[in-house]
Parts: sequence; C-alpha cells; structure tokens
Amino acid sequence: MFFNTCNHHYLPIIANIIRQDVIKMIFLAGDGHPAPALSAVDIITTLYFKVMYVDPKNPNRPDRDRFILSKGHACPAYYAALARRGYFPVEWLPTLRRLGSPLQGHPDMKKTPGVDMTTGSLGHGIAIGAGMAAAAKLIGYKYRVFVLTGDGELNEGINWEAAQSASHLKLSNLIVIVDNNGWQSSGPIKLVSGLDNICSLFQAFGWRTLEIDGHDFSQIFEAIQIATDSKDRPTVIRAYTVKGKGVPFMEGDNSWHKRVPSPEEFKQAISYLESEKARLERLATSTQKP
Amino acid sequence: MSKPVDLYPTKPEITSYACTRSAFIKALIKLAEKDPTVCLVLADSLKSARAEEFAQRFPDRCFELGICEQNAICFAAGLASTGLKPFFCTYGGFIAMRGCEQVRTFVAYPGLNVKLVGFNGGIFGGEREGVTHMVFEDLGILRAIPGIEIVVPADADQTYQATLAVASRPGPAYIRIGSGKDPIVYNPPVEFKFGTPKIIKKYGDDAVIFACGPIILWALKATDLLHERGIQVTLVEVHTIKPINLPNLLHLIERTKAVVTVEDHNIIGGLGSAIAEIIAEHYPVPLRRVGLRDVYPESGEANLLFDHFHMGVLDIVNATENVVASKR
Repeated sequence: MFFNTCNHHYLPIIANIIRQDVIKMIFLAGDGHPAPALSAVDIITTLYFKVMYVDPKNPNRPDRDRFILSKGHACPAYYAALARRGYFPVEWLPTLRRLGSPLQGHPDMKKTPGVDMTTGSLGHGIAIGAGMAAAAKLIGYKYRVFVLTGDGELNEGINWEAAQSASHLKLSNLIVIVDNNGWQSSGPIKLVSGLDNICSLFQAFGWRTLEIDGHDFSQIFEAIQIATDSKDRPTVIRAYTVKGKGVPFMEGDNSWHKRVPSPEEFKQAISYLESEKARLERLATSTQKP
Repeated sequence: MSKPVDLYPTKPEITSYACTRSAFIKALIKLAEKDPTVCLVLADSLKSARAEEFAQRFPDRCFELGICEQNAICFAAGLASTGLKPFFCTYGGFIAMRGCEQVRTFVAYPGLNVKLVGFNGGIFGGEREGVTHMVFEDLGILRAIPGIEIVVPADADQTYQATLAVASRPGPAYIRIGSGKDPIVYNPPVEFKFGTPKIIKKYGDDAVIFACGPIILWALKATDLLHERGIQVTLVEVHTIKPINLPNLLHLIERTKAVVTVEDHNIIGGLGSAIAEIIAEHYPVPLRRVGLRDVYPESGEANLLFDHFHMGVLDIVNATENVVASKR
C-alpha cells in the first residue's frame, strides 16, 4: 500500500519491537553499533510507519518518498524497520553482517530491498539527498527526500557544501533530520569537535530549522508536516535524542557506541524491552477505547 | 626573459588543434536533444568545460553547484539514483583525487549511471597551470576502483564519439580529456570503437608500442624514426583502459614479443601498468614504459614538457631500441 495510516498509539510499540530487533541482530552478529541505532529508532519508525509514502511491495516505485540513512552505522534500526514494514522477511534480520547476507554492515542499495542509497562513510547523505530532491523537481514528481544524519557527522565539510547547494536550488522537498544524541565515537561532541550551533549554521545557509524532542512521536510527525509545507527552502530538524535510548544501561553510556552485549546484558535488555512493550500495549488498548 | 631554447628538436609537427572540452559538450548537447534524462553537473566549471551552450539550451538540466567536487559527485549520484543520466565535468584531478571516495563509494559501488569527464589530463593537458591543475594519477586511481569504465580519447573528434559511446553504456565511466588546445591526432577523423585497440601504423613486428591520448603523435613520430633506423614496429592506440581488451592486446604482444607503452601519466598505475599486468600474467616478454617517471612535473610550454620529463620522441625511440635489443 502506498500510504501510511498507522495510529499514533502504535508507534511506540513498533519502535519497541524494532529496538528488540536491534539488540538481537547485534548480539547475533557479534558486531555493530547499538547505541547510535537506538537513538534513531523513534525517528525511523515515525518515517516508515506514519510519514513516508512508500510501497514495500514495489520498493523502487519512482514517485515514492526517499530515505537516506547518512549515519549508516545505525542500519540495524533501518533494516528492522524495513522488515517490519514488509520490504523483506523478518527472518533476514539475524543474518546481519554474515557472509552472503543481504544485510551488510552498512546500507547497500544494491543488496537490500527498500534501501534508497548506499551509505556508511559519514557526511554524504545531504549531498546525495540534494541530488534526489533536485531530480524530483526536474522530473515532476512530488516526492520528499528524508535524510537522517548524526550530529557528529556534521563535522564533515561536505555537509556544508551540500547545505549551500540545497538552499541555492530551493530544494523545499529535502528534509534533513539530525539525530542529535550529543556523542561521537571519541566522546561528547562538545568536547571532541565543539560543534553545537547546528541550527544557526544551517540558518546561515538559508535553511528553515526546527528543534524537537527526537523521542516524541507527535513532535517528530508535526515537525515533518511543517517541513513538508515549506515552499522555497530545505528544512533541517534538530531532533534531540538519547544515545542508547530505550535500554536503560546503554542510555548515555558511550561505550555502547560500538559494543556487543554479553549474554547477560542481552537478556537484561530484552527483558526490560518486553516489560516496556507490555506496558505500552496496555496503554494503547486503554486509549483506543471509545 | 628570453624564449626558452628547445634542446629537443625532434617533435611531431602539429598542424591543427581542436578543443576536446567543446567536443564533449557538443556530444552532450546531441544526447540531451534526444534524451530528456541527460544532465550536466558542474563545480564552477561551466566556462572551463565550455558548457555555456548546454546551460542556455537546457537550463533545468544544468546544475552548476560551485566549487565543491565532493558534493557535486554525490549530487550526481542522487540524480542517477532516480534514473537521470548525469555527466559531471571538471578538472580530472579534482574528480579522481578530491572526489575519489565519493566516486568509489557513492558512484562505483552502487553502480550508478554517473559519467565523469575530467579535463587537463596529463602534464600536456595541464601544461602551464602546474602540478595542482595537472593530473597524472587519475588512470591509476580510478583503475583500482571496481566498476568504472575508463576511456582516454586521442583528440576532439574521438572525444565526441567516445562521449556518445560511453553514454550508450550503463554504469559509471570516466573520460579523460585535455586542456582545450588539443592536437588533432586523426586527420581525417576515424571511427571510435569502445574497447577495441586501434592499429595506427604497422611497419612490422619488431615491437609493439601501445599509446593513449595526444602523446600518440609523439609515438607516431618515433615509430617513423624507428622505421628509418631499421626497426619496424606496430603502433596501437589503447583508448579504453578499462575494461582492457585482453585478447586483442595479448595477440599483439605474442606476435611482437617486445612492448613499449607511451602515456601522459605516471608510469605507475596507468596504461603501462595495465599492459605490464597482462604481460606478467600471460606472456612474459620485455617491456619499457614511457611516461612521467614518478616525479612531480612543473609548469611549462606544452611543446617542451614531454621532452623535459623524458616522454619525448627520442625517449620513445630509445625505449623501443632498448626493448628490441633485449628480445630473447
């Protein structure tokens, strides 16, 4: 189906399932980046289950909305969302990073159905997204291009080359969401690279900027609605997130940037997420009653 | 300052020039007239690419992004991902070096249909601009990346034909062109056949000289001189560096059993290396590589540069005599 009607109340449950998938995938792969994937889960969930016009049975449909995971190392969350959305069987998820798997260590548009662009080397999403957004205007499609970047990868200079181009070309269909978890691999961004004034930088290049809580589904949805209504300029949404969100012992602990849970930690994470899921389901049922 | 004295008077007589950059744009306009998906991406290279006419005729399909090659290559990848057919044209060095990772990871790896056209190829193409604006590593760098076709047309008309040929093939490609003042190699023009080495002169089988780009004229002069000196060689243009035509080249190597390569590129990585790989793996015979000898060149008059950097006519003659003498 080429539309999304998922009720707001179910988004947290889907996000919870995706978080469990992420933990399981990385545990089984014995390698991966759990915390940067977890901070992006709520944004990716909102995009694929509420916002984006996509057709999982026809993943290359030319008029679909596009998504670029510029922070490619968060791909377990991406793959889980695509599988749960019906692009490919969920049975593929445990094959992450295995030889012969369609699920590469970083996204590969040639191997994974639904992946619109190969990514992984940081900083490239906005530039590629600008090209996709310009193509829509040239061909006459109405699609939007969503780019999810980390805040750390905004260190890369190419982002700012692309910021110029997207603004100059008035690419109002380009929507960049910054998963602003405040950390990069070496430590807190404020200490490592000092990059903090993200919105004013984008504003200086002529972008519309919004700031939201990246774990509040309503805020994510509404910000994207506002961005979609933009007529003459691209939008960046600075989404404040928590690295490792959803697994208490990973939250704000940067050792989980790239680390595999032990069997004990794995059980602890899944059991927490399971109890959380039960709570969310009760909440959704009670809210659904007329 | 007085005019530099030319210490190397043995040179090809270049009677006519034509612009490879204009030839590329002429071909692109022809393509764009028929195919609405053909676009041009530029990095403040509109004027140097001679692209004004394209920009006037197809303003919507001309993306001049300013001085930002990495961004431009990714932008082109984004265009190509939707089915458009972008050509990105700027200095070859800024494509192969500044944009190397973008070419590899976002064009070649996903196999996107982005065509890269790099000008100022070689020290001849860069001539007076100096090292920063010359490129003599592009073939080596790009040849090491899987999934890019590489073509070095000899002159303007060959560039025109090569552009049309490359456009008709799916996937990433790199075309190396020149300075804008490019000698005409083929007069009258000849057919460009993608992937097929072309025999330019055939005096005999004492040795085979493989050459690409405008330096073919120097190799041709050397071939004639060698003929006068009693060494009969076959001169072959290898314009398609990747995919390299193994059967055709191997046939010539087996027949002559002595090989010289001539290119306006570092002797490491380019045509010479591609031929060396074939020889080493399939048919070991003596080989001499004429090219830039792993040093940095400098600004200079195009007609003096090859001689100064040991890539002139007499260098090709010496290399050939040497390789023939070492035949078993």
